[in-house]
Amino acid sequence: MQSVSNHYYQHQPVTEVGNGSSTEIESERLINSKYAGENGGASATSVSGADYVQEFSNNSSSVAEDGVLLGSAKSQWVPGNRHVDEDDASVSWRERKKHFFVLSDSGKPIYSRYGDEHKLAGFSATLQAIISFVENGGDRVKFVRAGKHQVVFLVKEPIYLVCISCTEEPYESLRRQLEFLYGQMILILTKSVNRCFQKNSKFDMRPLLGGTDVVFSSLFHTFSWNPASFLHAYTCLPLPYATRQAAGAILQDVADSGVLFTMLMCKYKVVSLVGAQKASLHPDDLLLLANFIMTSESFSPICLPRYNPMAFLHAYVHYFDVNTYLVLLTSSADAFFHLKDCRILIEKVLLKSDVLSEIQRSLLQGGLRVENLPVYPSTRPTSLFHLNEPRLVTGPQERLQEAFVGIGGPAGLWHFIYRNMYLDQYVSSEFSSPIAGHQQQKRLYRAYQKLYASMHDKGTGPHKTQFKRNENYAFSVVITVLLCWVTQDFELYAAFDPLADKGLAIRTCNRVCQWVKDVENEIFFMGGSPFVW
Amino acid sequence: MASRRRMLLKVIILGDSGVGKTSLMNQYVNRKFSNQYKATIGADFLTKEVQFEDRLFTLQIWDTAGQERFQSLGVAFYRGADCCVLVHDVNVMKSFDSLNNWREEFLIQASPADPENFPFVVLGNKVDVDGGNSRVVSEKKAKAWCASKGNIPYFETSAKEGLNVEAAFECIARNALKNEPEEEIYLPDTIDVANARQQKSSGCEC
Repeated sequence: MQSVSNHYYQHQPVTEVGNGSSTEIESERLINSKYAGENGGASATSVSGADYVQEFSNNSSSVAEDGVLLGSAKSQWVPGNRHVDEDDASVSWRERKKHFFVLSDSGKPIYSRYGDEHKLAGFSATLQAIISFVENGGDRVKFVRAGKHQVVFLVKEPIYLVCISCTEEPYESLRRQLEFLYGQMILILTKSVNRCFQKNSKFDMRPLLGGTDVVFSSLFHTFSWNPASFLHAYTCLPLPYATRQAAGAILQDVADSGVLFTMLMCKYKVVSLVGAQKASLHPDDLLLLANFIMTSESFSPICLPRYNPMAFLHAYVHYFDVNTYLVLLTSSADAFFHLKDCRILIEKVLLKSDVLSEIQRSLLQGGLRVENLPVYPSTRPTSLFHLNEPRLVTGPQERLQEAFVGIGGPAGLWHFIYRNMYLDQYVSSEFSSPIAGHQQQKRLYRAYQKLYASMHDKGTGPHKTQFKRNENYAFSVVITVLLCWVTQDFELYAAFDPLADKGLAIRTCNRVCQWVKDVENEIFFMGGSPFVW
Repeated sequence: MASRRRMLLKVIILGDSGVGKTSLMNQYVNRKFSNQYKATIGADFLTKEVQFEDRLFTLQIWDTAGQERFQSLGVAFYRGADCCVLVHDVNVMKSFDSLNNWREEFLIQASPADPENFPFVVLGNKVDVDGGNSRVVSEKKAKAWCASKGNIPYFETSAKEGLNVEAAFECIARNALKNEPEEEIYLPDTIDVANARQQKSSGCEC
């Protein structure tokens, strides 16, 4: 019953249409964190100094308009730091750009992204009052607009989730983020928690979520940089076809020994996945699981909301290196030692077959680069791994490459995301130099997100293509042209420089699609296992 | 096991309009009193942290409107309440007579698991007015009613002078604590793959 395999997420009717004028004036501060904002291997420096972009209001006097924090004394971002000293009376709390709240249907606070839940008890009660007031009238509140702020509600009896945001993200996106927040909670506790409320409406759920602050703060971070959060698709680490096959083969062996799901991951990217017969995994579950998993070896109960929201599975996790990890899911709570043995076996095979070193190589090389977009008809070999062969740093070719800095790909192509509808997978190009900054990348994702919402708008859509100029895209100089193309087989989202010619852009998109097709064996996980998505 | 953890108590204040519910709450939370009457619209919410017997409590106080047009706040407002405070004005007999209705309405809407022992507190407010000369509800009368409803604690208060307000709310915390349910072990289902895939097995079907 849970084997949801929707290629296309059904949205509620859209109440707000993205008109392309996103006046997002953000001031953000760049703070070091453990969360590598995946800015691709485009620049070699991005691997080490990962930055975290914290949402911060633009009218705070301590933050300059270009996003540089002036008074940066307390700027160290700690995962899970929720500024518990704040409450709804604090100016800093009110200026946070995006709040998330979870409360029970009796108005008791369960979670707040910022501030201390107990101090926000009155605020929480107010939210409950709004929801139940509308409910008493036989209606349901979806969102409220108040000036620049949008208040989005999601009712999952007996739990209420609320987002208050001035990020100008469309209603659908924010609602999806609330769905993810709920899913993350279910992943930690299962939906069985509802029974506690049935037995006792005064039930206090907060203690059950103890120690999970990091999981939630990292989820909110995910909303800003991981396209999986709005595409409902997952992405793979580019690998030579034979390497992925080799990895899949050993995972399959283990799966046959009673493991429900076996997955080899690199950060949030899939290397290979195997499920037991008929067991299927939803991309959203994969995102929540990858977000929950911590470093080092662990064994913990988790629930996959789209698989079975009522019950726990047990996850054995082992990291082979900082980025690469294995997840084995089983229904048995006593399987630790069996899973450990499986892991040892897998590790042996992966080392022998060079899979782990290929993963490292792929991480260093990065994936699709717009600069490498082939000219068709092409005589070049159609493997990503020839194209990206490491070049001599001092070679003449490299100098040629440098001349392109600041330009991006052909016809002003800066970036693209290609989503394969049948595989529920997407591939995203590396960021080219014009969008090397975190803020630009975040804005680009927000623009894609908006585009996604308007493309799937039931009221005015669904559309086939959209070509739009992002006029006041940002307060600063960044302006892009976006092109979106939706067919039965794929969705393409592309960003071009502001002067891009429409005809040329369309031709370039055709080349991108051809390219993706040519290398699909390397960038997508082509299944070959009894997977029903 | 988690007896040391912070508790959040939902406290609902009910009573006829003008008996001083908002003033009591303001006196308690902000230590302020105003002679000006301003009707509460719908409901107001205040938060107060208290320490009691080495434990930290957060009182989430739901100050409701006494006017009849707001009396259909419904199930949602009363749901999950830990304590209910019934307020009357000792100088207005009708406000005392209404207590019965307020109590019954609350029990119907909130439908607590154990209505007999649900913690109520009754406050007779405005004892300061006119030096007590305009008083019509005697302490004896109020106490008799409280006794007949399962020994509800009774306090004579003055929101204006801060009389007994602190003591009344301390009693609220104590009562709610007494009513704290047994800590249960949280046990969700596990999946029995061998038998029926994706069928929940009975981890706890209570």
